[in-house]
Amino acid sequence: MVASTDQEERADDSPAPAPRRRSRRGRVLTAISVFGELLITGGLVLGLFVVYSLWWTNVLADREAKKQGNEVRETWEESGSGPGELDTKGGVGFLHVPAMGERDILVKKGTSTKDLNDGTAGYYTEPVKSALPQDDKGNFSLAAHRDGHGAKFHNIHKLKNGDSIVFESKDKWYVYKVYAKLPETSKYNVSVLSAVPKESGKKKAGRYITLTTCTPIYTSKHRYIVWGELERVEKVDSERTPPAELG
Amino acid sequence: MYGWIWRKLPGNAAIKAAISLLLILGVVYALFQYVFPWAEPLLPFNDVTVDQ
Repeated sequence: MVASTDQEERADDSPAPAPRRRSRRGRVLTAISVFGELLITGGLVLGLFVVYSLWWTNVLADREAKKQGNEVRETWEESGSGPGELDTKGGVGFLHVPAMGERDILVKKGTSTKDLNDGTAGYYTEPVKSALPQDDKGNFSLAAHRDGHGAKFHNIHKLKNGDSIVFESKDKWYVYKVYAKLPETSKYNVSVLSAVPKESGKKKAGRYITLTTCTPIYTSKHRYIVWGELERVEKVDSERTPPAELG
Repeated sequence: MYGWIWRKLPGNAAIKAAISLLLILGVVYALFQYVFPWAEPLLPFNDVTVDQ
């Protein structure tokens, strides 16, 4: 039995030269098809990376921003209604920009990638230290993502002069009005963050706000800048009734 | 390459398909969880600040 199957197998194997000739050509074909499959795989991976950047990072960041924002609001409630000393640990407040279709953007200290990736906006600590809204004079300068990671400043190009930017702190509403923008500037142009941003046309010290993000959409080649000036400050009432601009 | 993997997988076509699906999901998970977060800061798509 055993011997006979051996013989049968040998008999099957016997036309050896033909497959070997085929396999030499076959090897080239295999190499080509493997190469092709690698190219297809590479394309799929790049496609997935786009999905990751433009969708998945938003999912993660929005979730994280919501969580952190809720924590800030809870701390505000717990600490009572006394004249609030500013708590910068969890975040200083929320930015509302109706013209951009964005509400409740949590604003935190610092513009490191790690912070901004949580779907928040950050105020600059370097290269130019930002002023805070309650300061008498200065420029409250912020950065946030244009795409991915919450994409909070995605619609920055929709802001026009006269549009309002409202910053909500624990006890005040700061209502700013957009008065100038720079649709494209160098990423090294740190002068846009100056206490008196000359490029916006201002010469005197005042209470300004600066939004920075990257442009064109989906790349980081240049920076897009929007400037606003403080119009008025409203006290937060017990209901946290938003100012008319957010109505 | 994929043909080779397909032939190496055990079982009939249905089982092979199921295992393939699991493998694909595993790869996508690894990409989203580890590879892309690592690669993203190395690519010039997401710098939003002005800096010196």
